[in-house]
Amino acid sequence: MKLDITPEVLTMRLICTAAAAVLFSAPAFAQQPSAAAGVFEKRCYSCHNIGGGDKKGPDLKGVTTRQSTEWLREFIKAPAAVNRKGDSVATGLFKKFAPEVMPDQDLADEQIDAIIGMIDGLTKKNEAFVPAGAKLNRPIAPGDVEAGYQLFTGRAALSGGGSACISCHNVSGSGRLGGGTLGPDLSAVNVRYKDPELISILQNPNFPTMKSIFGTRPLNDEEIVKLFAYFQNAKLVAPIAPAPAASAAVRIEPWFVALGFAALLMSLALMNRAWKGRLRGVREELVRRNQ
Amino acid sequence: MDVRLQISMVFHLDKCIGCHTCSVACKNVWTDRKGAEYMWWNNVETKPGTGYPTSWEDQGKYHGGWEQKNGQPDLKMGGRVLRVLNIFHNPYLPKLDDYYEPWTYKYEDLFNAPEGADQPTARPVSMVTGQPMEIEAGPNWDDDLGGSPIYAANDPNLEALTPQQREELFEIERLVFFYLPRICNHCLNAACVAACPSGAIYKRGEDGVVLINQDKCRGWRMCVTACPYKKTFYNWSTGKSEKCILCFPRLETGQAPACFHSCVGRIRYLGALLYDAEQMLPAMAVSDDKLVEAQREMILDPFDREVQAAALKNGIDAAAIEAAQRSPVYKYVKDWKLALPLHPEFRTLPMLFYVPPLLPVMAKNEDGLYDASGKELFSPIEKARLPIEYMASLFSAGNNDLVRYALKKQYAVRLFKRMETVGDIEHATVKRALEQVEMTEEEAESIYRLTSLPTVDDRYVIPPSHREEAMQMLNDDMLAEKGMAGLGFRELPVRGA
Repeated sequence: MKLDITPEVLTMRLICTAAAAVLFSAPAFAQQPSAAAGVFEKRCYSCHNIGGGDKKGPDLKGVTTRQSTEWLREFIKAPAAVNRKGDSVATGLFKKFAPEVMPDQDLADEQIDAIIGMIDGLTKKNEAFVPAGAKLNRPIAPGDVEAGYQLFTGRAALSGGGSACISCHNVSGSGRLGGGTLGPDLSAVNVRYKDPELISILQNPNFPTMKSIFGTRPLNDEEIVKLFAYFQNAKLVAPIAPAPAASAAVRIEPWFVALGFAALLMSLALMNRAWKGRLRGVREELVRRNQ
Repeated sequence: MDVRLQISMVFHLDKCIGCHTCSVACKNVWTDRKGAEYMWWNNVETKPGTGYPTSWEDQGKYHGGWEQKNGQPDLKMGGRVLRVLNIFHNPYLPKLDDYYEPWTYKYEDLFNAPEGADQPTARPVSMVTGQPMEIEAGPNWDDDLGGSPIYAANDPNLEALTPQQREELFEIERLVFFYLPRICNHCLNAACVAACPSGAIYKRGEDGVVLINQDKCRGWRMCVTACPYKKTFYNWSTGKSEKCILCFPRLETGQAPACFHSCVGRIRYLGALLYDAEQMLPAMAVSDDKLVEAQREMILDPFDREVQAAALKNGIDAAAIEAAQRSPVYKYVKDWKLALPLHPEFRTLPMLFYVPPLLPVMAKNEDGLYDASGKELFSPIEKARLPIEYMASLFSAGNNDLVRYALKKQYAVRLFKRMETVGDIEHATVKRALEQVEMTEEEAESIYRLTSLPTVDDRYVIPPSHREEAMQMLNDDMLAEKGMAGLGFRELPVRGA
C-alpha cells in the first residue's frame, strides 16, 4: 500500500501546527468575544439560550455565578460522567430536562473558557445572547411556503444530500400517512422557538441525531429560507388538518369500533373452525369422563 | 446394499422391577434444569396404563408417526402444505397437564415456620410458576395400576381385546401389570427428523443417535407432534426442543448411557446393528402384521463377508463391525427373535426392542379359593394373565404369532433350566417345548446365560467411537476446526438465538 504522507509532508504539517498553536493561543481567543459567540452559536445555541429562556437545555444566564469555572469545565466536557458521579446539581439538571442528555463536548479548554467569559459578561450586563449569523439571507417570498413543503416531504431533494425532514419529523398535514416519529412533531415549532433560534437550528442542527446527518450535509441558505417559511405557515399548505394540541384525542367513529370488533369475532370464529380438531387436553378429558 | 451402523437397544421386560432408577439417573444427569423439569427422557410406565404423556399411544389424538398415503410414507400430522399452514398453531400438541405440572415442596417452611399449634408442612409449589399448587398428576401417576378406572381402563391397547377379556383383566385377584421403560427409540426413519421445519434434528451418521441441534432449533415443536412416542420435549425456558441423546458423551468414551448403567434389574442391553438403508422404504410400506419381519430383514448379518465389505466401503471401521458381531441386541432381535419393537405400526422403524414379559401364573382362583399349590410350576402361554392380543398390540402391530413365539421360547428356556437344576420336569416335555420353537439346547443355554448371568461387557458392547473420523466426514480441513470443538455449547441455548 502506498502511503501518501511522506516525511517531508509530515514535517511541514508539524511546523504549521506548532505555528498555529502559537498564533491562536488562549489569550488571543479570550480577547475576541465574537469568536466565542461564533462557537456558542454553532455548538450550544441549538439547546441553550443566554437570557432567552430554557430550550432543550437550561438558560445559561447567571450560570457563572451559581457554579465554579472548574465545575463548568468538567460538566461541559462530560455531563453524563458528572451525573454518574452523583453531583447534586448535575442530577437535578438531568432530571429536569429528561429525557434529553447533553452530549460530551470536545471543546478545547480555551474555547470553554472563552464561552464562560462571554456568559459571565452577558450576565453582568444583563443582556441576552443574540446570534449574529441566525438571519435569513433574503425575505420570504410567496412561493417559499410551497417550496418548503416540497423540501420537507422529500418531493424536492436537499442539495447537500441530507434525508428529507419527513423521514423523522411530522408536521400536521404533511402527508396522508404523516411523517416519522423518531424526531419531535414540528407542527408548532414556530411557537416553540423564536425566529433566530429556529433559523440557527436549520443552519447548525446540533442535536446528536441531526448532527450525524446534517453535520456533513448542511442545508443551503435558499433551503433554510424555504423550510423556515414552511414551518411558519404549515397551516396554509394543508388548511384542513388542524394542528393537534398535545391533549387533543383523535376522533373515532363508533361504527368503526363496532366493525373492528365484528371482524375480530369473525376471524376468531374462522380460526376456531379451521382448528376444530385441535387437542384440548387428554388427561383432563379422561378424568372428566370418569367423574 | 447401503450398510449403516445403529447403536440399538434391548429391554428385557421380564426382568424389569419398575424401580424408576433409570428415570432418576437420567433426570439427574440431563433434565434437572429450568424448563426441563417436566421432561422424562427416560420413563417407566405401568401397563396396562396410559403412560406419559397421557395416552401417548393414541395417534387418533396426537397424530404422531407415519402412515402410507398412495404408496408413499407421509407424516400423520399432515403433508407439507398442512404443516406450513399449521406452523404458527400446531393443533396436536400435548398440554403441560398431559405430561404433568412439575412441582417441588417448600422445604424451608419446615425450618422457618413460626412456632404454632400445628406441625409445619412443606406445601407443594409449581416448578413452572412457583405458586402453591394442587398435585393432580405426575409422570408415573398410574404406577402399579394407580387410578385404574381412569388410566389403565383407557389404555389404547385394550382395544385389541374382546370385552370379556377386558373385564377379566381387571377382576380382583386376576389383576396383572408389568412395566415398560421407555427412552427415545432412535428410529431409523424418525418422524421428528422429517417434521422439523428448521432442519435442526438429525440422525448421527456414525451411530444413528438422533439429536436436536440447539443452535438451529427454532422451537416450532413439530417434532413434539411428529414423534409417536412423544420423546421430544419442548423446553419452555430456552424455547428449544430437547430429547434423549443416548448419553452420547458417555458412548463416545465407551460407557453405557446413564439409564443403562444404573439399571438395577440389568434389563438393558446395548449394541451395534448393521442395517441396509436401501430396504427402508419397502420395509415401511408393508402391511401392519409384516412390519416386524420387514424390519428384521433390514438388519444384516455382521458375519456375512459381503455385508462386511459393504460396511467397510461405507466408512464403518473394522472395530465397529467386530462390535456388531458381539452385539447382544443382534442376538435377541435377529438370532433368537425374542425382542420386538414397540408399536411398529407407527412405522418409524424404532431401534429399541423389548423382550415381552412372560408373567407366569403362580396361583389360581378356583371356587372362590386362592390356590397357590398348582401342579405345574409354569402355566402354558395360552393361559397367560395378559392376553397375547394385548402384547401383540404393543409389540408387533397385532401379529400374535410373533409374540407367542417369543413367549414360548422364554417358556421353553425356563423348562429347560428347571429340568437341569431341579430335575422335576420330564426330558420329553422339555424336548417338546424346545421343538415347538425350533430351538436347540445350546441356544436355550445361551439365551439363559445372556438373560440371567450377563456381565457388563456382555450387556453393553459399545463400538469404539472414532470421533475424528466422524469429524472428517463433515469437514476435510481439520485444522480449521482446531480449538473450536469439544468445549460444549459455543452459545447457551436461549430464546431468539
